[in-house]
Amino acid sequence: MNAKILTKENLLSFVQNLIKTGEVVGVTKKDGKFAFDHLKRASDLVLDYDVTLLPPKKYVMPQRETLIKFNVKPEVKVEAVVEATPFTLIGVHPYDLKAINQLDRLFEENHVDTNYMKRREQATIIAVTPTRASKWSFWSSMNSIFVETGFDLLLTDIGGRYAVEIGTAHGDELLKKHAKFEEAAPADIEKLESIRSALPKMCSADRKINALTHEMTAILEIHRKSELWEKRAEKCYSCGSCNLICPTCYCFDVKEEIDLNLKDGSRYRVWDGCLLEDFAKIGSGENFREKRADRFRHRFFRKWSYLAAKLTEPACVGCGRCSSVCLPDIADPVKVINELKEEK
Amino acid sequence: MESLYRPELATITKAAPMTATEKYFEIKLNSGRELGHKPGQFVEVSVFGVGEAPISVSSSPTKKGAFDLVIRKVGNVTGKIHNMTAGSTIGIRGPFGTHFPFDETKGKDILFVAGGIGLVPARSFINYVLDNRKDYNRVTVLFGCRNPNERLFTDELSLWAKRDDVEFLETVDKPLDTNWKGNCGVITTLFPKIKIEPANTFCVIVGPPIMYRFVIKEALDKHIPRHHIYVSLERRMKCGVGKCGHCQINGVYCCQEGPVFKYSDITHLEEAL
Amino acid sequence: MTKPKVAFFDFASCEGDQLQIANLEEKLLELLEHVEVVSFREVMKEHSDDYDIAFIEGSCTREADEARLKKIRSNAKIVVAIGACATIAGINALKNTRPLDQVRKEVYGDNAKWYETYAARPIDAVITVDFKLHGCPIRGDEFLALCKALLTGQKFVVPDYPVCAECKLAENVCVFEKGMTCVGPVTRAGCGACCVTQGAVCWGCRGLVDDPNKNAHKEVLDKYGLKAEEVMNKFNLYFAYQGGPK
Repeated sequence: MNAKILTKENLLSFVQNLIKTGEVVGVTKKDGKFAFDHLKRASDLVLDYDVTLLPPKKYVMPQRETLIKFNVKPEVKVEAVVEATPFTLIGVHPYDLKAINQLDRLFEENHVDTNYMKRREQATIIAVTPTRASKWSFWSSMNSIFVETGFDLLLTDIGGRYAVEIGTAHGDELLKKHAKFEEAAPADIEKLESIRSALPKMCSADRKINALTHEMTAILEIHRKSELWEKRAEKCYSCGSCNLICPTCYCFDVKEEIDLNLKDGSRYRVWDGCLLEDFAKIGSGENFREKRADRFRHRFFRKWSYLAAKLTEPACVGCGRCSSVCLPDIADPVKVINELKEEK
Repeated sequence: MESLYRPELATITKAAPMTATEKYFEIKLNSGRELGHKPGQFVEVSVFGVGEAPISVSSSPTKKGAFDLVIRKVGNVTGKIHNMTAGSTIGIRGPFGTHFPFDETKGKDILFVAGGIGLVPARSFINYVLDNRKDYNRVTVLFGCRNPNERLFTDELSLWAKRDDVEFLETVDKPLDTNWKGNCGVITTLFPKIKIEPANTFCVIVGPPIMYRFVIKEALDKHIPRHHIYVSLERRMKCGVGKCGHCQINGVYCCQEGPVFKYSDITHLEEAL
Repeated sequence: MTKPKVAFFDFASCEGDQLQIANLEEKLLELLEHVEVVSFREVMKEHSDDYDIAFIEGSCTREADEARLKKIRSNAKIVVAIGACATIAGINALKNTRPLDQVRKEVYGDNAKWYETYAARPIDAVITVDFKLHGCPIRGDEFLALCKALLTGQKFVVPDYPVCAECKLAENVCVFEKGMTCVGPVTRAGCGACCVTQGAVCWGCRGLVDDPNKNAHKEVLDKYGLKAEEVMNKFNLYFAYQGGPK
């Protein structure tokens, strides 16, 4: 293992240098919790957070993204829009990075989604090893503790100092250009390794899915007709909260807006959620997933079966956000899969 | 910039009402290029300032220089396009999706079963077959709609009825107060009137969601093999490129692996029919 | 093309929705490129009964309102109910949960007998309403979106999902996690969860979604320690006309 060492002070000035040279987003405090936000100064950055309200996905797949611009008068004109400018994303946890890696594959496969890919190319990602887990997280069960790719740099707090692992040549260059660092000593590497080996135990013991990831898919398939779906969905608000906070959800709706001059306008996509009542409704009024239970089940099957077939792993990274935002407490994958497993 | 979502401009060259809710449009791409679709594929139609809607191409690829759409007025995009006339500019993305088995069926018998506006996508294949008539064996077309006022392409229907190389049967659920003299009853009532050689027959079924189960049962009762039955399914195909998630049938993107499906490929998908 | 003529009317309300429109200022001037306002008590003296689009604020709370509403309906091609009082009877409907005589006495005292009143109703309980602009008050940008839809011959579509969806998008900390409660999970979105974003809770001013899971929310409110009466009060503030928990 190879790593550089940044003192806390040097990390701060590294971040400050990045802020001076471009757009930087990082984890900040918000209302007693944490959120990725535009970073005004390095001292606002929080690296010992548990989980952010929304995943950093919002920077590679914005909530609202313009796809085309058009004029309807005096003659119809249309142009493609790709909104992509360079930015640095600091403080991404491995599970959220794993989700971004999955999105990269899904937006690239078959038809390359230029809007996503171009923006993604502009992102410099500085990941950070978690120092604590939220009480809902179950990333240990989803193999999302460690990521090998997707980051330019990976920071780990080794007790007052940060070990920096280099993921890309761009990350290396950035570090050399903007940071004062030392080579890691053998003792630093030892510390780093011991921190990494303790990570699987960071999620609390009751946040464990009692199956390996590929077994989870099988459990769902066997219990497709289980009463659990209906029973849990009885309490479902169809509010889509579980979709909208999810780092791997990428369904979108496409909307249109025309200016008040009634001449110029744009078409844009916005986040959507398969739990929302009208998600599968067509113009004639037919709704192909009208029942709450069907929508509720679809989310699980999409993540553990349909997308898992494409990705060769479930499209869930165990961040626990869906479990934490669901007021009736029905959306938690840990409980759902463990309960299904116990069913005959 | 290469973009999945930028429509190309197209012009409505003909527009004519067909029924109270359906209107016919002939479309030319402004670039002059052929759409290059296969029978059964769809396009995303843009009305700028309103939005996009997935619409089946109704003409056969054998028609050159322009293509046909028949649009039912159901929402904002389709409502707005109904007010458009020849010369208006719209946007087109596509063609998208899978197509009817025009190759596999060569030398075979084909049984078309179209209900209501299911005739719109089916027509792209029917006309393809009729334009290449010698490539196919027996051709049977069954068409049913709710009442005589909802019949589409009435000129073509009478042409098909007159041809001796096509067996054409049609029915209406209710004749209302028209002077309809033909068959009355739902489309499945036409099945006893036809004779087929099941092993040599491909069956293409397009219609409203409710129709499929009943018609498929008739086809299976006639011993047509499951892998010879094709359906075209309607879903909310918002992006057309397998990203937005709205058209998923279980794990299958209707805009990618559909809209045309082989029945034997979807029997295990409970959300399909 | 002649500009469509637009008129504004108010019934039992605070006129706060029309104020939202008046507050659009330069946007309102831009809108005037496309429409002619023939009646708008908050900003002009003139009035005409010749109009195409009628915007109606306020609830119907007495018999005399009905004739006036019917006249507006017969004059206008399109009727839009604006604001909670007009769309769901708003907080006016609070009185519907109590004996009317008592309510009247509380408000008008000894003069109660001079004031006519009955259970508050939304506009569409009396006349056909083409579109509804929800909220207490309405949002200026949603008013403009509706105007653009009407001007371009489109149906105006309002969301049919709960406020929670937009609250997540706003990246708010859930009020339930902050020791408060709200009715966002059953309330129609479209507001961008503005109240929660500002540190308050959702009171439900846009009314219930089409298929609210009221039972589930009752259970949740109970779990978070609300007494049955408090749950009723939560639901009745804006949903009294649409119906509280069963």
